[in-house]
Parts: sequence; structure tokens; C-alpha cells
Amino acid sequence: MESKKIRHLRESSLDRFIYIAICFFLAVFCFSTVYPFWHVLMYSISNSKAAMSGGLFFRPRDFDLLAFKMIFKTSQIFVAYKNTILRTLVGTTLSMALSILTAYPLSRKRLRGRSCLSMVFFFTMLFNGGMIPTYLVVQSYGLIDSFWALVLPLAMNAYNMFILRNYFKTVPDSLEESAFIDGANSFTILWKIILPVSAPALAAVTMFYGVYNWNAYLDGVLYINSTGLEILQVYLRKLLASTGTLNSLSGIDGLSEAASLSEESMKMATIAVSILPVLVVYPFIQRFYTSGITAGAVKE
Amino acid sequence: MMHKPKIPVHDTSLLKSRLRSDIRRDYLLYVMLIPGLIYVLMFKYAPMFGVSIAFRDYSIFRGFSDAPFVGMDNFIKLFSRSAFIRALKNNILISILKLVLGFPFPIILSLMISELYHSGARRFVQTAVILPNFVSWIVINGILYVMFNLSSGAIPGILKSLGYAGEITNIMNQKETFIWVIVFSHIWKGAGMGTVVYLAAIAGIDRNLYEAASIDGAGRLRKMWHITLSSIRPTIVVLLIFRVGEMMYAGFDQIFAISNYLVVSHADIIDTFVYRLGLEQQKFSEAAAAGLFQSAIGLVLVLVTNAIAKKVDSDSGIM
Repeated sequence: MESKKIRHLRESSLDRFIYIAICFFLAVFCFSTVYPFWHVLMYSISNSKAAMSGGLFFRPRDFDLLAFKMIFKTSQIFVAYKNTILRTLVGTTLSMALSILTAYPLSRKRLRGRSCLSMVFFFTMLFNGGMIPTYLVVQSYGLIDSFWALVLPLAMNAYNMFILRNYFKTVPDSLEESAFIDGANSFTILWKIILPVSAPALAAVTMFYGVYNWNAYLDGVLYINSTGLEILQVYLRKLLASTGTLNSLSGIDGLSEAASLSEESMKMATIAVSILPVLVVYPFIQRFYTSGITAGAVKE
Repeated sequence: MMHKPKIPVHDTSLLKSRLRSDIRRDYLLYVMLIPGLIYVLMFKYAPMFGVSIAFRDYSIFRGFSDAPFVGMDNFIKLFSRSAFIRALKNNILISILKLVLGFPFPIILSLMISELYHSGARRFVQTAVILPNFVSWIVINGILYVMFNLSSGAIPGILKSLGYAGEITNIMNQKETFIWVIVFSHIWKGAGMGTVVYLAAIAGIDRNLYEAASIDGAGRLRKMWHITLSSIRPTIVVLLIFRVGEMMYAGFDQIFAISNYLVVSHADIIDTFVYRLGLEQQKFSEAAAAGLFQSAIGLVLVLVTNAIAKKVDSDSGIM
């Protein structure tokens, strides 16, 4: 009896130790993922001189919005912001339309040649032409330095399309049969019956495309040269790479004010401006991500 | 016997007319597929055919159809370039480190999160760890800069305030340390996203298994090992196949954003090499050859790992 009791106690204390270790590790890891974003925000609203010594920023040092005043005096950030918003709206809409229209026919068992047609799309996940042939193809369509170069080349992602198809598959045929007998065509059925019951998958895939479009930058580097079409991420990349940020801002008013402003503060303020929309919406859209990835995990 | 040949003839005509009526019935479904098919033909399959420039001597002045066929010349030239061999080596090393260190991490993280008692705490941790996934690598580059730069960085600042007297170096500018920046920032950014699938699989495990194991005297670790981990094994296998299939892609998005000229010798991968050779030096054919080499090996890797997974466990595999 005695030994059993001791063993029980020992086990539970080991378990408790493991639990505390897990909590400690998770706390440290959460800190590492959240703190850097907080740091950027706090740095961007601190006085440049006070911020120069580095270290941790749990709150702003000498609250100062000068960096934001300065970056909003440049017109390029508005151009870049507008282009990113535009490509996110247009790109996401187009991607969703293409993916839905492709996913629905491929989800119907009665469709003749379904597996063959699915393979046409699935193969693009296994093999691709590569950066150079894709670039030359985009060039041959005359898309270089056009807004559509940001939208068309990656308009449909086969993985996202298959997430939708797998979800549409779970809608029973019987649900559309009655509408079919009533004389509704496939477009009406898709719009009135399939889409309303597929809201979770649609939300998830919309988020995938939306977040992709907001954060993508390689197409902006590869296909766009004109500053009028520059997207936010490319603008940020140029700013972060430059060591003469303030020189690049010459031509704006109040340079005497800018003299007290450090390059770091400008960089942090620009990062803050680009991630703020994401930080605000991500806790809400995160759960759609979860449902989408889970739906996509369903195998062929 | 005499009627036998007649039946198949009758059958095929019946099948044909059924096929025709099926297609007539569903013609709108085929109409719906047209935009998607045009898209993949124009932007996915056209580049696949365009990959033939890897076997030609293409230049922008001559155009595609006039480019002479040169066989494997571009590949021979490519493999005699030390920069390509270097990129290939870096590519393999970075991929292996990312796979070996990065693949198990989301699994361990999921096991840990699922051990938390409060569902609110679980949700909070999940929301916190997925945050870096929602920003671009450009933003991560800015964050790495503000963490590690010597003049105003967070970590040098902490070390200084702790009275650390030794020499502090910026790991972003050191050739030897930069590979670890690549590997760990990759693990750090992707961990939260990686846990999503595993946590969904763990949520589907029958709770009674844990209770039964507790009654039998199993401790926390044994339950994590024998119940949680073994229940999500099929999920792990499928994701492992995907990861091994992606081995040739060492992370263009990431490395293009965070590397700099000081560390290029240790951070150059096939994709960044292709970008430089093709789009900066205009050597399209050779760069396309490097890209084809990469995607061909990638395809082989997917097919081989898929076949192995199916042999081990017929339920696994992606195809």
C-alpha cells in the first residue's frame, strides 16, 4: 500500500513538473512571436534619439509621432498602399471566381471525364516551368509593367481550388436534384444552393488569397519596374535596404524637422503602417484559416 | 453464341448515346471549366512548354522560334559554374536543416498546446504563435533588423544593459551564422501554421482513450507518446511527403527578402541563382536549365516519397 501511494505521488509530481515545463516553453515561444511586433510599434512611436540605445520596448520612449508625420509627407507610400489594396481586392475576387467555377464541376460525380480534368489541375501542383519560362510567357503576353501582372500569373492556386472542390463534394446531389427538376441551370444551382452552404470553405479560401495578395512581393519585383505600380511590400523592401532613407525623402517639406529623425524610426514606422491592418484583422480571420486547412487535409 | 457479338455492339452504341446525353445535360458544367482551363494553359502549361529554351540558345534579340537547338549544352555550362555548384550545395544544406529541425517542431508544439487544461489558454497560444505567418518575409526582414542590428537593436541593447563586455556581432551579416538565421526564422514563422492541421487531428482523438490510460496508470508523457502521437501518425506521414517533395525549394520568398550581399556565399540557393543569372544577366537559357533541373528533381522526389509511403502504409500518400 505504502509503496503504491509513493509511486502515485511521484508520478503526479513528475507530471506536474512536465506541465510546468510545457507552460514555460509555450510562454517563451509566444513571447518570441508576439513581442517583435509590439517592439516595432513601440519603436515607431518613440523619440528617435531615445530609441537609439536599443533593448526592450514595453512602452514608447518619449512618445513622438514625427516618423509617421514624415512618411505620410511622401506621396509614394500612398501610391504603394493604393496598389496593394487594389491588387488584394481585384486579385482575391478574380481568384475566387476562377476557383469556384473550376471547383464546382470537378466536385460533381456525374461529370464525364472528371478525373482526367482534375488531373490537368493537379499536375500543376507537381511540376512547373520555373521562374524564367514563366517570366518570358508573362512578357510575351505584354503584361510587364501592367497592373494585371500582379493579378493574373498566380490567379488560381490549385491547392485552394481543391480545398473548395473537397468541400463542394460534401454537398449531396439530392440537394440540387429538386432544383434541377424545377428547370434551374448549373449556374443558378451553384449560386443559390452550393455557395450558401459552403460559407466556411469560401471564407477560408478568400482569406488565403487575401493574405497572399497583401504579402506577395516577388511578382512586384519580377514584373513591375514603374514606381506608379509599386506595391507596399516592394516599397518597404527598398526602404529597408537603403541606408540613406532620409536622402531618398528629399523634396519633402520640413527637412529641418527630419534631421532629428533616425533611419530606424522611419523604417519602423513604415513597417508599422504596413502591418497594422493585418494585426487588426488577423485574430478574427485566423479561425477561418483553421477550418480551411482542415478541409484541405481531406485526401483525394 | 451467335448473339454474343451483337451485345457489345449494342452496348457501345448505348454507352455512346448515354455519354452524349450526359454531356448534353452537363454542358454548362463544361462551360464553367473554360476560364480555369484557359488560365492553367496560359500561365501553367505554357511555361512548361517554354522550358524547352533550356535546350536552346535563346536570346531576347533572336526570339523563341529562331533560337537554335543546342541539346544539353546549357546544362554542361551550368554544372561548370562554381556559383551554381555553390547554390546547389547551399540549397541542399538549407533544405535538410529545415526538414530535420523544422518538421518535428510544429508536432512538438501541437503536443504541448493540446496538453493545456484551459481551452481559452489553448486558443490564446494558437492565436499568438500563428501571428508571424500573417506578415510577409519583407516585414520579417525588418523585424530581424530591429532585433539584431548593432546600433539600436533589441538584443545587443539587452546584452549591453546586462553589462556584457564581449564583442557583439550582428548575426545577420555573418556568413557562418546566417544559415541559422534562415533555418530558425523559417521554423519560427511557420510553426503556428504547422500546428493547425495537427491540432485538428488531435481534436478528433477519442477522449476515452486518455481516461482508460490514466486508470491503467499511464503518466503524461506516456499518454502523449502512445495516444496523441500515434493517433496523428497518418497526418504526419502525409505532411512529410509534401515536405520531402518540396526539398528542392529552399525558400526563395524568404531568402530573397532577408539575405544581403555580405552573406550571399552562404545563402545563395538555386532560385536566387536563377534570378540573378536569368533576369539580371539575361542568360535566359542557362537559368531556365537550372530551373528545369530543380523542378524535375522536385517531381521525382514527390513521386518517390509517395510510392514509399504507399508501400509502408497503403492509406498514406497524396495520390
